[in-house]
Amino acid sequence: MKTLGITALVPPEIVFACGFKPFDLNNIVPTSTTRPKNKLCAWTAIWREQIMNGELDLDSLVVVAGGDCHNALVDGQRAAEKIPAFYLFYPFDGNKEYLKSQFERLSLFLGGITDPGIMKTVKSVKENLMKLDQLRSQGVISSELGFQYLISGCDLQGDPTAFKEELSRIPRERGGDLASMHRVALIGVPPIHHDFHREAERLGLHIVFDEMPFEFIRHTGKNINELAESYADYTFARDLKYRFDFLKEELGKRRIDAIIHCTQFACHHVLEDGMLREHLQCPTLTVHSDLPGPVPEQLKLRIEAFSELLWRK
Amino acid sequence: MIRYGVDVGSTTAKIVSLTPELTYRVTESRNWETLLEGIPANEIASTGYFRHKIPHKIAATEITTAIYGVKEYLNDPEVIVDIGGQDTKVTDVRRNNFIVNDKCSAGTGAFLEFIAHYFGLKVTDLSKIHHKAAHTININHTCSVFALSEVVSHLVDGHTIEDLIASIHQAFAERIAQMIPEAEKIVLIGGTAQNRGITISLEEILKQEIHTPPNPQIINALGALRYGEEKEE
Ligand code: SF4
Repeated sequence: MKTLGITALVPPEIVFACGFKPFDLNNIVPTSTTRPKNKLCAWTAIWREQIMNGELDLDSLVVVAGGDCHNALVDGQRAAEKIPAFYLFYPFDGNKEYLKSQFERLSLFLGGITDPGIMKTVKSVKENLMKLDQLRSQGVISSELGFQYLISGCDLQGDPTAFKEELSRIPRERGGDLASMHRVALIGVPPIHHDFHREAERLGLHIVFDEMPFEFIRHTGKNINELAESYADYTFARDLKYRFDFLKEELGKRRIDAIIHCTQFACHHVLEDGMLREHLQCPTLTVHSDLPGPVPEQLKLRIEAFSELLWRK
Repeated sequence: MIRYGVDVGSTTAKIVSLTPELTYRVTESRNWETLLEGIPANEIASTGYFRHKIPHKIAATEITTAIYGVKEYLNDPEVIVDIGGQDTKVTDVRRNNFIVNDKCSAGTGAFLEFIAHYFGLKVTDLSKIHHKAAHTININHTCSVFALSEVVSHLVDGHTIEDLIASIHQAFAERIAQMIPEAEKIVLIGGTAQNRGITISLEEILKQEIHTPPNPQIINALGALRYGEEKEE
């Protein structure tokens, strides 16, 4: 089976149906020790560097260009010197017809759909992930354990059947202590530090919502029409008001106490911070990260202080 | 029972007790152990960078202890500006919001140390020298290293050290001012707050009074003590 490198949100339903195994390039970044040359954002620069150095075993690449990030687009074009690449554009206005044509072009790039039935399997795995997300929000599963699987909603670790099996084996033993913690939503990009959820929980914050992974799991469908219908609501591609309104509703359902807004050095999400605070009106800690690795001490201080201040409310 | 508040920061270590009058001692951070001789850990509430490292019963970050410490002197502080050796923290007490500048030394105590060292002065002399300045010059660079080369070029042009120190204070205060939200009650704490040159410059820029408690460098240690007492109840 050929491997397709993907970034951000590329429907795994289509990738599997075309006979490819999706591999989310971002998932290698948080534990990576690669220090790329000429970088703005480490998320894109690290996979670009690894592709350029031939360190990843990929057959093709799909970069989400419209609705994601210009850094990814530039680093993707650089990587395209090594492997065939396709640029996927999400519509800013949520136009479903446009998105359908994009998905059809993507299928053609991948050689056409050969196994349409697998889309149903992917859909059922995502339904299980939605349940897992709920269990985490109810405090039955820790932030870290839940996140580990939710973040894989983008590529289902390359094998939907095996991944579904693994999901059914997740232990459900937590409870008690999580209930006494502050309920926190992670908004923005996923943290680039691999132990972020564990550290936050150690410091008294139970992360019950991860914005990006939630986008990975909530869109699905059994055919291109249904996929276009669902993925057209991908909030990161839409206008900010649309995204903030969606978040407001979701955060309300989860009875959130506070927000951690995760941004990266040299990322446009930094600019959204003020608007996000105005719109969501919730105690917010903004995190600016740069390189991957464990949570640095300065950031631990901020998380700890934020947790203390929340008790003062 | 908590009897001591201890703040071991990047540069200095402080211990405070209230028995019932306030007593305190200050030393360099690397000698923090000398402050704790004979004191059992269960009598200590700690704060500062080393809060988890030193013996303690209760620990809290400087952001929290600053609020407790300032409240000993001032009711309802709105914004607390804590200029530390390696970072500057601005806490909006009304909104439970804070920002920490630790990526750049330009608005921290380290910058003033660096400048004092260049002129062969003690950082504690800067305030006195500031008062002898006749006028100030604009220092445009916001990076410590570039600011120093700019200062050197002004020195070459014949400006006095006094004028340059006052100008550096001005540039320093401008940087800090950018971090401060609008508020009526702004409090300045940390060792650097003892430098009147900084407070005066900040007052000129913000066009308002800046409150400085007595002994601003021990506020976090005092706050740790109060926080510890409260948590123990
Ligand atoms: S963090 Fe920002 S700059 Fe980096 S890849 Fe994501 S959107 Fe792009």
